[in-house]
Amino acid sequence: MGGVSRTTDCVGLPPPPSSPTRGGVLHAATIAGAPLSEATASQRLFANKFIARPEFGPLVLLVVELVVFWSINHDFLSPGNIGNTLAFTVELGLIALAMTLLMTSGEFDLSVGSVFGFSPVLMWTLMNSGGVPMELALLVCLGVAGAIGYFNGWFVTKLKIPSFLVTLGMLLVVRGTALFITDGFPQRTWSAGGHWLAQVLVGDFYIGGLRIYMSLFWFAIAVAVLGYLLTQTKVGNWIQASGGNPLAARARGVNVNRTKTGLFMLSSMLAAFAGVISSIRTSAANPNSGTGYELEVIAMVVIGGTALTGGRGTIFGTVLGIFILRVMRNGIVLIGVPGLAYNIFIGAIILGMMALHSWLERRHQAGT
Amino acid sequence: MSQPVRQPLIQMSHIYKSYGRVQALEDVSLTVNTHEIVGLLGDNGAGKSTLIKVLSGAVPHTSGDIFMRGQKVQIHSTTDAIALGIETIYQDSALVTQLSIARNLFLGREPMIGPRWMNRMDRKMMDRVAGELLKRVGIGKNIPPTTPIGSLSGGERQAVAIARAMHFDSDLIILDEPTNNLGVAETQGVLRFVRGARDSGHSCIFIAHNIHHVFQVVDRIVVMRRGRVVADDIDPKKTTVEAVEHVITGME
Ligand SMILES: Nc1ncnc2c1ncn2[C@@H]1O[C@H](COP(=O)(O)OP(=O)(O)O)[C@@H](O)[C@H]1O
Ligand SMILES: [Mg+2]
Repeated sequence: MGGVSRTTDCVGLPPPPSSPTRGGVLHAATIAGAPLSEATASQRLFANKFIARPEFGPLVLLVVELVVFWSINHDFLSPGNIGNTLAFTVELGLIALAMTLLMTSGEFDLSVGSVFGFSPVLMWTLMNSGGVPMELALLVCLGVAGAIGYFNGWFVTKLKIPSFLVTLGMLLVVRGTALFITDGFPQRTWSAGGHWLAQVLVGDFYIGGLRIYMSLFWFAIAVAVLGYLLTQTKVGNWIQASGGNPLAARARGVNVNRTKTGLFMLSSMLAAFAGVISSIRTSAANPNSGTGYELEVIAMVVIGGTALTGGRGTIFGTVLGIFILRVMRNGIVLIGVPGLAYNIFIGAIILGMMALHSWLERRHQAGT
Repeated sequence: MSQPVRQPLIQMSHIYKSYGRVQALEDVSLTVNTHEIVGLLGDNGAGKSTLIKVLSGAVPHTSGDIFMRGQKVQIHSTTDAIALGIETIYQDSALVTQLSIARNLFLGREPMIGPRWMNRMDRKMMDRVAGELLKRVGIGKNIPPTTPIGSLSGGERQAVAIARAMHFDSDLIILDEPTNNLGVAETQGVLRFVRGARDSGHSCIFIAHNIHHVFQVVDRIVVMRRGRVVADDIDPKKTTVEAVEHVITGME
């Protein structure tokens, strides 16, 4: 039994909520009482629990994608293709990781795509016309993004306006600002390749034939830190409680407003960071870039098993969701499906995964 | 100088509460002494829940004062009440269904381990203490503390809320019909807990439909009828269930 509960623990995700009957773990306990040999029982327990986890479906889907694309076109797993796919995947992924925590706390942020486009525009404008050094320009960008997140949080928690409306408004304000200060034209970007900061952010190197950008490390660090934050820390407990039952959480002294506001700021700042990285890598700062990213990011998060309604979130699931969507986009082009058909597949994946998650939840409640 | 007079733990005096036109509480005064278990009885709609909701900060009262150990206190929210050491266990306990038992028990007062900047919860300790507490309230069997509240029965949830009140040494624990929807063993667990609460230094207000349960555990019975207190000093050892039933229904 001990080993099993520890498995639940280290990922820290309670299985789906709300039922008067006993599900998962308790059910498992009943099985453990059956006259099976200890080892088989615990193995079966482990398998059962593993399959019942929200990350199981996405994991299977990702493996299927990889196998199918690879068997149709072996180039799919060539170092060149992997390197290309990874470069942009991790940039979008950074936003999705922050969004996971925000959604676990019961809110979401539609303004991340516009912040992704706005931040590099701001940074390059400061550098080009203000003569501001890159280090300072980046700090200003992150500061402005933090302020945007703070405003989102303030509107949502203090004025009690739903995050859908607040961040939709912020999306328009931020995108509008980016278009306004640039007259709609891309910013001049010198090749920042030589700057030490550019090297640290997106410097690239080769491992064999595989081109790796530094952003992959930033992504890995974000996965580790945010995964730890969500499952092991007091802050993580507060995030889940704020999304699960804000009234109960508040009654226990949890500062729900501050928790949510902090996550809005994190979401904005990681979106700005991702935008800057992306802009340095592609040597472009287009005021329109990032359009529509918010929806793709939210799709990644929910595909991974995080609840749109809050209370339950998984960083590991989001990592799977990120790769499911990006691998799909890359793969269908590679095997010759017209790229325009991409959205059909994405839509189908979202619907399929939502059906799976809701089925798991119901199965869980029925205690079967 | 003589010793100061021992103050009652809680003193609610001249409490009025109306829901629009409905006068739910009318000039209600209630005293709870330290280490005292008070049983609150009354028919449906008598105002019992409203009275304890006022005390636990869940609803504001229209007028009247609340004193704790002689000091006037303002209770505007459940947070205020919990900070003062007043824990309330409702039929539908205020738990986060997605979180595990242990995480719920310690929500807002998480024990920490390691350097502060790591913000790390002591999950081993949480699980261990939660396991011990669950045994004490009688649901130790086979339920690991990592189980999410969502997969517990109503009674088990109740027990978790009780365990939380016990662990954090609240001065006053209010139980509003905690034994509804509970099985026999769980009910016995709750009654055992209420009886034990006095010895471990808590005071309790215990509301239950089953008068026999109340008789088994309380020191003093208070009866409410139509928003008023009609008796507040019934000693269960010196009276009978039938006599109290008459007071409740008003057919003396
Ligand atoms: N939220 C409310 N709105 C309006 N009336 C209420 C509300 N809650 C309780 N009441 C009324 O107040 C009176 C006392 O109710 P309550 O305190 O729940 O009684 P008890 O717990 O003793 O059964 C009843 O007449 C009830 O209808
Ligand atoms: Mg009631």
